[in-house]
Amino acid sequence: MGVKKNDILQGTLALLILRTLVSSKRMHGYAITAHIQRVSDQLLRVEEGSLYPALHRMEQQGWVRADWGTTEKNREARFYSLTAKGRKQLMQEEESWTRLTEGVARVIRYA
Amino acid sequence: MAWDRMAWYWRIWNVLRPGRMQSDLERELSFHVRERTEELQAGGMSGEEAAREARQAFGNYTAQVERTRDMDINGWLESLIRNLRQALRGLAKSPAFTVTVIATLAIGIGANSAVFSAIDAVLLRPSPFPNGDQLVKLGQVNRKSQDAFVAPPRLEDWNRLNSTFQAVTGYYTEDESELSGELPEKLKRALVAPRFLQVWGIAPELGRDFTPQEEHFGGPNAVLITDRLWRRRFGGSANAIGKNLRIGSSSVPIVGVMPASFLFPDRDVDLWSPSPMDAPYAQSRETGWFTTFGRLKPGVTLEQARANLASVQANLSRQFPKTDARIGASVKPLKEATVGGVRQSLWILFGSVSLLLLIACTNIAALLLSRSAERQHEVSVRFSLGASRASVAAQLLTEVLVLALAGAALGLAIAGEASRVFRALAKDLPRVEEIRLDWRIVLYSLVCAIAATLLCGVFPALRGTRRNLAGSLAQAGRSQVSSRNPVQFTLVGIQVALAVMLLAGAGLLLRSFQELGRVSPGFDPQHVLTFHMSSSWGETGDQKAAKQRLDRVLDSLRLTPGITGAAASISLPGLPVQYQIELGTAEGRAETEPKMLAQSRAVTPSYFATMRIPLLAGETCRDDLSASGAMVNRSFANAYLAGPAAVGRHLTQPGNWPSSEIRGIVGDARESGMDQEPPPTVYWCYSALQPGTYFLVRTHGDPASMAETIRRKVHEIEPRRSVYDLSPLVDHISDSYAENRLRTILLAFFAITAVSLACVGLYGTLSYLVSVRQREVGLRLALGALRTQIVRQFLAQGLIVSLLGCVAGLALTAVFGRLLSGMLYGVSAWDAATLGGVVGIVLAVSILASLLPAIRAARLEPMQVLREQ
Repeated sequence: MGVKKNDILQGTLALLILRTLVSSKRMHGYAITAHIQRVSDQLLRVEEGSLYPALHRMEQQGWVRADWGTTEKNREARFYSLTAKGRKQLMQEEESWTRLTEGVARVIRYA
Repeated sequence: MAWDRMAWYWRIWNVLRPGRMQSDLERELSFHVRERTEELQAGGMSGEEAAREARQAFGNYTAQVERTRDMDINGWLESLIRNLRQALRGLAKSPAFTVTVIATLAIGIGANSAVFSAIDAVLLRPSPFPNGDQLVKLGQVNRKSQDAFVAPPRLEDWNRLNSTFQAVTGYYTEDESELSGELPEKLKRALVAPRFLQVWGIAPELGRDFTPQEEHFGGPNAVLITDRLWRRRFGGSANAIGKNLRIGSSSVPIVGVMPASFLFPDRDVDLWSPSPMDAPYAQSRETGWFTTFGRLKPGVTLEQARANLASVQANLSRQFPKTDARIGASVKPLKEATVGGVRQSLWILFGSVSLLLLIACTNIAALLLSRSAERQHEVSVRFSLGASRASVAAQLLTEVLVLALAGAALGLAIAGEASRVFRALAKDLPRVEEIRLDWRIVLYSLVCAIAATLLCGVFPALRGTRRNLAGSLAQAGRSQVSSRNPVQFTLVGIQVALAVMLLAGAGLLLRSFQELGRVSPGFDPQHVLTFHMSSSWGETGDQKAAKQRLDRVLDSLRLTPGITGAAASISLPGLPVQYQIELGTAEGRAETEPKMLAQSRAVTPSYFATMRIPLLAGETCRDDLSASGAMVNRSFANAYLAGPAAVGRHLTQPGNWPSSEIRGIVGDARESGMDQEPPPTVYWCYSALQPGTYFLVRTHGDPASMAETIRRKVHEIEPRRSVYDLSPLVDHISDSYAENRLRTILLAFFAITAVSLACVGLYGTLSYLVSVRQREVGLRLALGALRTQIVRQFLAQGLIVSLLGCVAGLALTAVFGRLLSGMLYGVSAWDAATLGGVVGIVLAVSILASLLPAIRAARLEPMQVLREQ
């Protein structure tokens, strides 16, 4: 998978999803993409092609839980919510992300 | 491992419910598309455009579904299938390796399971009676014999006076003619002392046990019949109870039917009836005829029972000094008594089959070690391409597992079949009908072989790649592979050693057989037909009538065309039957002279002519009841009575027997077994029919073809008696060595298998060596080495291994050879010719096995090899 223009760096998608889910209780896949797009001021756009594999992988890892529910428009959708394990994972990923960006920023500044 | 614990149930769920999985995914994704379409429409797009755009964002919709689905199942089921496919492809690419490993496993598992099942049935499992370990065989011991029949009053005394047995009982057998059918039918009847069924702990399936009245002399007749006779005669009908059998002159009512499993004293038995202990003929303490058994009280040990019975007999000795003074009592477990001599044979077989399993495992180890060494390069490539250790291990494991399972399945088939063959071959073994495949032992063999396979197939490959991946990758193709393969060659050496040992054992047994066939037995067993005619012990009361009966039959047989001689004897010559007695002479012997121990045989005077045993001195004893004499063989005369001077002396036996005059001396014959030197033998000239008397008929042509003639002839004279067991004497003799033969055949089979396995191991290891050293060989050829040098080098390598193996094997044979020495005849356990031959065969075969890979190495095209590597 090549990195496209506004593609999300591999590995960070999980962080974004976890972060999104921590703020609201449960969300379906479409709402997650919409949320990330809105919050990032359209800078980040989650490809549907990566979103669902990521969600399913996270479900298998036990970071998120999924169950069927209905939207306000009374449509059936699969809702994802964070598990305790997911919360822990989020903390780790945030920490390593901060470290990475700090490191990169320093290199850019001083190199 | 990557597929973590949380996820396993998902995977299983998904595998089990792929349909649901698919539709869940579709529902989820189509929801997304719909939401997106609506949003786009809200932004001003037309419905159709919006839908297309929304779908496009997903790329190919179905591909998407599949990719998402992959996340769930791929890691598991599909990789399993992929591994399986890869394993099968890999194995198919090296069919020789595959077939060898599977066949080796199958032979190891199959043979081991079958032989151990037999051992388990015959030796290890308790007797098939309730609390079978309480059953013991009793015997009276005196100077003459270890395990004699017990006299009826003594049996009753033992039963009454002991404190350690629940009950003591006994039996003897005779063959009867049952006369209710058109022709007399021979039935084997066991006459049993009271408490017979109580001791066995078995009740009749139908009907009842004998009543006390039936066990008294002059009481009502009664008979219990076997399940077999019941089904054959009465079609298994309950009406059989109360029906009569016509046995001899009396009519005997059936009172019960025994369960099918109860076949005691042996599987030929048809009837049981009571033998009254208060009968007038059963009051002597001097003559015994009961084979005696007892059931120990719960918790009583063998030692306690022995001590108790010994003190009982000591009291009897004081009470009846004349008859009981020199008599002791023996007690041994029934199982021991039934199985007896077979024990050693079976353990030898088990030893050899275990060696076979060991060789099989070693062989598999060597083969797999070579293969995994061959694959090191492939494995390191896969590692360097990013394969995880787990996935490489899983793939190797799959391949080895396929081998193990295929081998195990084939092994089970072989085990089942071998067990059947064993039962057929060993039909004379005691308890053979109990042999069946025991699942515990099958499991044990399976585990052994599969463990060896897994251990040798997976770990070496992985271990080989652990250290410096990159290094091994960089070097594998190019480097000079070192020639040290100590493990493989040690394994091959071990196989050769074990194979030599097995082959030496088989060779020694075969040589014994050969020697046995070569001996001159002193009588002529060819063209002799033997048979029995039914009679009962009761009839022996009138000796005169019994003699007339026998003479009449013999005379009329002699007059039959095609028959040149007829005789009768209590035992058959050449069969391992011992009946040793101690004799004296009426003329007296000095104290210093050796005891006169001799084999005792009772024969009609015509026996010597019929069996072609030459008369050396004196005359053949006369056919005269009042003055019948005895004959002795040359060994007897030379050992005890100064040769020809023996004629005219009078032999006496302890007890009330009249003395008999020695009428003549005959040549030595191997009376008590073809493998025994002729013992000093005394022949009592005795011509009265008794149960078990053998008729011996010398025929002109093939003895078996005279069977019908003889049967008709005897029926003319004795219409109320059945003639049975018509078979040539040579068949009897060879049957009596059936166990010997079975042992030899099986051991030879194991040995041949072992040698083939060892050679396969040698061949495989050398082939591997050649393949890894191709580059070196190519280089040397390019530098001018001669092809013969290359051949010689590899050949030498193979030969050194098998030579060392032979030396080790001979050492092992020297150590374990004495286990066999009791079974050998005419060769010593260290017979140089046999051992030399064995080593010769093994070396010759290993040269063949080494030659192929060596020649292949020498045929290498140097330039091609160097270019390729």
